[in-house]
Amino acid sequence: MVSLNKNILRTILIISYIMVIALIISGVSALFSYLNTGADRSTMLHTEINKVEQYTPKLEWEPLQNEGRPMDNENLNALQNDYLDAWYVKQIAYKTNKIAGIKDYYTDSARKNLYDFITLNKAEDITIEATTLKHNPTLDFFSEDGQLAVITDRNVVEYKRLFKAEQMVLETTETSNYSIVFLLEDGFWRIRHIVKENVDISKKRHEIISVNHLNIKGINYYPQANPWDMFGNQFSTAIISKDFKIIKEADLNTIRLFVQYNDFGKANVDAKKLQKLKQTLDIAEAYQLKVVLTLFDFYGDYSVMSYTLNQRHAETIVSTLKNHNALLAWDIKNEPNLDFESRGKDNVIAWLDNMIDLVKSVDDSHPVTIGWSNTQSASILKDKVDFVSFHYYEDLELLDAAIKNMKTEIPNKPLVLQEFGLSSYSGLWKPFGSSDTDQANYHKKIQDIIAVNNLQFMSWTLYDFDNIPEDVVGWQPWRKQTQEHFGFINQDGKRKPAFKYISIK
Amino acid sequence: MKLTYTYLFLLSLILTSPFAVAQQNKTAKTIKLLSTKTNYEAGQVITLQFSINTQEAPLLYCANSYGSTLVTATLKKNTREYLIPKNITKKTGLINWKLLNKSHFLSGQIRINPKQEVATMETYIGPPSIQAGGTDYTMLVVIPTDSLDNPLAEHTLVKAKHQFLASEETHDIFTKHLIAYKNINSKQESGRMLVSSESLGINSKEFTINVAAAIPTDFSISASRPHEYADGNQITTFSTSVIKDKQNNVVSDGTFVTFFITNQKQDILKTTGTTIDGIAQSKMIHPDFKDTWSVKAYIEGMSESNTILLSYKQVIEDFEVLFSNKNRTLTVGPLQSFMKQMIPDGLQVKLNIYNNGALINTLIKTSFNGYVSFNLKPAIYKNSNYDFSIETAGKTKEFNTKKLW
Repeated sequence: MVSLNKNILRTILIISYIMVIALIISGVSALFSYLNTGADRSTMLHTEINKVEQYTPKLEWEPLQNEGRPMDNENLNALQNDYLDAWYVKQIAYKTNKIAGIKDYYTDSARKNLYDFITLNKAEDITIEATTLKHNPTLDFFSEDGQLAVITDRNVVEYKRLFKAEQMVLETTETSNYSIVFLLEDGFWRIRHIVKENVDISKKRHEIISVNHLNIKGINYYPQANPWDMFGNQFSTAIISKDFKIIKEADLNTIRLFVQYNDFGKANVDAKKLQKLKQTLDIAEAYQLKVVLTLFDFYGDYSVMSYTLNQRHAETIVSTLKNHNALLAWDIKNEPNLDFESRGKDNVIAWLDNMIDLVKSVDDSHPVTIGWSNTQSASILKDKVDFVSFHYYEDLELLDAAIKNMKTEIPNKPLVLQEFGLSSYSGLWKPFGSSDTDQANYHKKIQDIIAVNNLQFMSWTLYDFDNIPEDVVGWQPWRKQTQEHFGFINQDGKRKPAFKYISIK
Repeated sequence: MKLTYTYLFLLSLILTSPFAVAQQNKTAKTIKLLSTKTNYEAGQVITLQFSINTQEAPLLYCANSYGSTLVTATLKKNTREYLIPKNITKKTGLINWKLLNKSHFLSGQIRINPKQEVATMETYIGPPSIQAGGTDYTMLVVIPTDSLDNPLAEHTLVKAKHQFLASEETHDIFTKHLIAYKNINSKQESGRMLVSSESLGINSKEFTINVAAAIPTDFSISASRPHEYADGNQITTFSTSVIKDKQNNVVSDGTFVTFFITNQKQDILKTTGTTIDGIAQSKMIHPDFKDTWSVKAYIEGMSESNTILLSYKQVIEDFEVLFSNKNRTLTVGPLQSFMKQMIPDGLQVKLNIYNNGALINTLIKTSFNGYVSFNLKPAIYKNSNYDFSIETAGKTKEFNTKKLW
């Protein structure tokens, strides 16, 4: 027995010895191989090109009729890129009061003027967040040797916010004309002279869009199997057709769809997703349903420097769909007031304000709204939107008073209760939740309030969902479970009692 | 009675109306711009003065071509003064400003005009080399700027001057879109053109444009050689005539000329040269057998020469071959040139070896002191009967059924 024990002991000792040695060797070798990895030699030449679009204001050249040498596309592209980059580095420089990047895009003498401003603003603790939203350049002159160009950029729309000691003191939109002389130096088209010729500070008024025809009786829609990922790989026209049929037969006339900013490819909109969105609208048209399209879902950066990227995104979608018969209205953003705290109320409102201008400049026939998450925020930008949308998930007892209050604040715009509903989840994570009957009672009651106040409405939502992405409500099971049970139709495809009150007869 | 009331009503309206107007004026007058000048010359001091009857000292926003800033007020009794920063007042273009007071924003614009003086004549000229003949041109671009680096006002006179050979010309051009430009065409002759410009009495420096000859026209060629024998040793030199363009300008040095030589077998030999003072030269070694060359030169894609014919005479009429050492050593020679002198070293002699009618090897050697000898080693060439043919200087001799042992 003794010898057996000793043998076991020996074996353990030897094995642990081998393990320790193996660990040490693997550790040393990992360290050694780490120290042997250097930078990849191919990176020395910076040959890899990672051009990221940072600044994409709308830019339209006037027809080329310049004096001097005829312009070709390659040179014009190079000039345009460097010109926009020059604006971009200038905006960054004035925002940070640092001179990085300036010298690539302004000649020796021109950059002094920018440095002077930076020195002055830095001393006075002034920072400027600015962007240009529109350029309309004319090429006036291109020299015979291709080294000098003159352009006049007309109607440059500049949006600026000035801060003194980090307090915003001015927000302004200016429309200016600039004459600019460029020199080709070191392969960069650099600005040599820039002269502002003309400024207009009056804001452009948009045509008033009639909203008298609106009679929204609708529902927020996501397919049951793939909520918040409607236009992904699981996109199915068959399922959407089936659902739209249910909606139509339930005596509803409108659906609300969501376009997610990242999912749709940010500034360069994914053509495939856009096609799927268009197909969805085609199906809606077939079932005589109208669509309220909510843009910028899951987008949370309202910084001035991203304006141009956001605007290209919206422009592509709006211009593609603006003539679609199924389109009813543009909802600029879902519940932007939830970002007030984290992103700054001023930033969010300014972003919305500019985005409404952009959408209206592309599509002047469809009304625009914003999906506020509560009744208190509904009056923000009330003069800009064509109808006011708000969501209500609070106590039904208080709804009537809230509506009365809103009607006095916003006397002349239609009100749309754009999201409401009650989760019928009651279980492990929420033992005292509501039942299917509670949900039915809720919808019955709210439809009465809607009828009394003559509201338009869109309920949340058609289905109970199986699988909700974490981005929507977070990872917490009690939130997920609750969110999964807002539907009128349960996970087995059976109509819940609330379905009876999905619409007003 | 009714009429009286109407009169009373009208009277009261008339009486109260001045108060209404006065009141309106009073609110508008709380802040008023006192400085009315809106046009300044670059670099002048600009102070915006506002009358104000509150304790407010609002900031003033102002922006020009290059950027924006906020100006703090200097407080005076009932007025606020804003000194526009120097970096804004020194650049031309429009300044837009806005007073950031609480109630309503006052705003306005000031135009800064360039100084009526020229400090630098920023001149760009290109291309730096153009072609004679009158159609090609170079472009002079001038940006006259004042001492604060502002481009001058539109329609400022600039004199574009250039000199070429005997002519000196001055043209009046005017600034438009911040610049002034002039296309300067070449003349018939090649040479150097000097260009300068002047505005408001200030002159630019001198710029030089090289006017190069236009594309060459057709030319002729000639050949020179020490003798006309095909000795494979001397060199024939080809030269072109002076190559000129259609305006009679000698083409630029370095123009590339290719000579194509076609011999009787229709093989093509090529030699090249570049021009100096319009003449290109190129060389080719004599053939080592009787031949006639036809030579033509080209400047590729542009022009060509006439064709010349050159004949080369045979130098070696006959040669002897001596077999020795069991027929394994073949001595060819003496190889003698046209004056019976030994041919210079290096003449190629080719030996073809046949066995049973099949070519089994070819040996090539060059002459040394007028002789060439071939050694056929027993290890390679077994004892047998062989046929040989020997070629040199275009001549061939055959020796059949030689036995090697």
